[in-house]
Amino acid sequence: MTATLRASSGIKDYLGGKPEVTISAGRTVRETLVDLGIPPEVIALVIVNGEARDKEYVILDGDAIRVMAVIGGG
Amino acid sequence: MNGYGGHILRVDLTNGKWTKEQTPADVARDFLGGRGFGIYFLTREVPKGADPLGPDNKLIISSGPLSGLMIPGAGKCDFTTKSPLTGGYASASLGGHFTAEIKYAGLDSIILEGVSPKPVYLFIDDDKIELRAASDLWGKGTIEVEKHFKDKFGEEFQVAVIGQGGENGVLFACINHDYGREAGRGGVGAVMGVKKVKAIVIRGTKSIPVADVEKYRQAGMALYKACKEADFLAEWTRYGTTVVTSWCDEVGALPTRNFSAGSFEGGKSLYGPVMREKIVITDKGCFGCPCPCGKYSRSKKYSLEVEGPEYETIGMMGSNLGIADIEAVAKLNLICDDLGIDTISAGSLIGWAMECYEKGILTKEDTGGLDLKFGNAEAAFELAEKIAMKEGFGALLAQGVKKAAAKVGKGSEKFAIHVKGMEQSAYATHNATAMLLAYMTSDVGAHHNRSWAITYDLQVGRERVAPDKVARIIWLQNFRPMFDVLGACRLQWVELGIDRDLYVPALEAITGIKRTWEELEKVGDRIWNLTRLYWVREIDGFGREWDLPAPRFYEDAPTTGVTKGQITKVEDVHKLLDMYYEQRGWSPEGLPTPETIDNLGLKAFAA
Repeated sequence: MTATLRASSGIKDYLGGKPEVTISAGRTVRETLVDLGIPPEVIALVIVNGEARDKEYVILDGDAIRVMAVIGGG
Repeated sequence: MNGYGGHILRVDLTNGKWTKEQTPADVARDFLGGRGFGIYFLTREVPKGADPLGPDNKLIISSGPLSGLMIPGAGKCDFTTKSPLTGGYASASLGGHFTAEIKYAGLDSIILEGVSPKPVYLFIDDDKIELRAASDLWGKGTIEVEKHFKDKFGEEFQVAVIGQGGENGVLFACINHDYGREAGRGGVGAVMGVKKVKAIVIRGTKSIPVADVEKYRQAGMALYKACKEADFLAEWTRYGTTVVTSWCDEVGALPTRNFSAGSFEGGKSLYGPVMREKIVITDKGCFGCPCPCGKYSRSKKYSLEVEGPEYETIGMMGSNLGIADIEAVAKLNLICDDLGIDTISAGSLIGWAMECYEKGILTKEDTGGLDLKFGNAEAAFELAEKIAMKEGFGALLAQGVKKAAAKVGKGSEKFAIHVKGMEQSAYATHNATAMLLAYMTSDVGAHHNRSWAITYDLQVGRERVAPDKVARIIWLQNFRPMFDVLGACRLQWVELGIDRDLYVPALEAITGIKRTWEELEKVGDRIWNLTRLYWVREIDGFGREWDLPAPRFYEDAPTTGVTKGQITKVEDVHKLLDMYYEQRGWSPEGLPTPETIDNLGLKAFAA
């Protein structure tokens, strides 16, 4: 029961520089971000299997999740 | 000169004559272009104390060395002038396709001088340059006039045009282009209006000289490749700047009811995906852009089409007015674009007026019968039009929020949300000290484009007041506006996160001069300090007081939303300034010291 999470370039440091990590299904995106040490509030956009979702989305087996922070700003 | 059109065009509107001169090589070396050229010519040529709406002020329109070339987003044009809104430095950035034509016409800057006795438009077709009568176009909206010129001369001609707001001298009138792009801030449209220039219509067909064509091709392709391979290209293209609407709501940065809070209970109806689904019909990009952030929208409810709204307009004319209807925001967007007034300032003014009305400071008698409750979209539509036309109550608001609040008084100055007289753009800063400092020290007033640091606040602690935050703001202020100097869009770096070092070989291949980012940041520092010296020159007693934020951010904590009860302490506001001035090499009152001026090669400008 796993999924993948990919982070945008500005926050890859939270993943030890890796572009993508394997995560467990069954938890919310918000909980998973906390587990990974990524402050959920820095994430502006969550994409699950190509669709925009909120951070309360419960991760399913096989999901491909991408999270984006706005580092450079407006 | 490689990378440049090669000439400065001066248009003497008073006498109806123009001259061309070679672009000075030393100015190109020290200030590069864009807003660098703008502040150089403004400081050198507009006399101290000039009336911003008088004949001595100039409107300086500049491209940069990357403009018009095969570089992602190389379509940025700078409009510099003495601001009628603030009395200080104004520099507004315009996207679209206008700046490329300046370069193709063999120009780097167009400087409008004096005042025309009658309405005119400036026609440029390579070396054919004419001032032509425009009395028949005076009083018409930007969209109709741009279409008129496109129909008359063809799509190849690019148009920059003012609306009724500029004609009427609204102090935050903008200059419009491409039916929905604006040089928005600081009242550049009012300066063009008082000069009686309705539009500039331009086409060029010349080549831009490039130092090393093969290296330029390779460097340009590397930049495009990086954009194309960026992780979130598809999402940025799909949502544009509206990506951040939901996030701002979540972190308490979404301006709500005149910045009295940072989260909006109706925010969900304004979020990017909702807007995309409900009204967006296509994407629209600027010159050479691989990630078109412009959204073109259609509202069935109001039977209209408009470019936008983008995030700033959604924040300032949606949540900031308590309006939870994206179609109403689209309508406000169209009204402001067509009449030629800045949506950020207009949203701030209407929000301030609504708060005055709800507090009983203004009544229906004052507003000309408008029921200015937050959320009343119909009243906002009417008021936006009245501002642009300077009709009745709208004439008061047309002066900007600082002057309007000074006239109305009764404590309304406390919730007039501005710095240096410029209305704050769409990020609430009750508890985001780096971003608050960014607004306080921005060289045009409370605008976000120079530096932006909310995520940094969230990462290192939003209440923290520490030297690293100040250093971050200074670095951003020296670096980010360099895109406005080079004539390219910063959003490829901001949004797609492409490596900024990719621009270095491109700039070298184009100009033939190698410049590292360290060297470019030094140019940015020089320009930043020169803009500061301009404020010092123009405003008697200029100093710390002018860098203070709206009292709302240190006296008036939100009572709702995620930043409820959170506020920056006034002593921290001053601590931020103390650290900022020290790190900048400025005096405790915020004036560049002789050593700093000397180190940046600005001695000749400091007299």
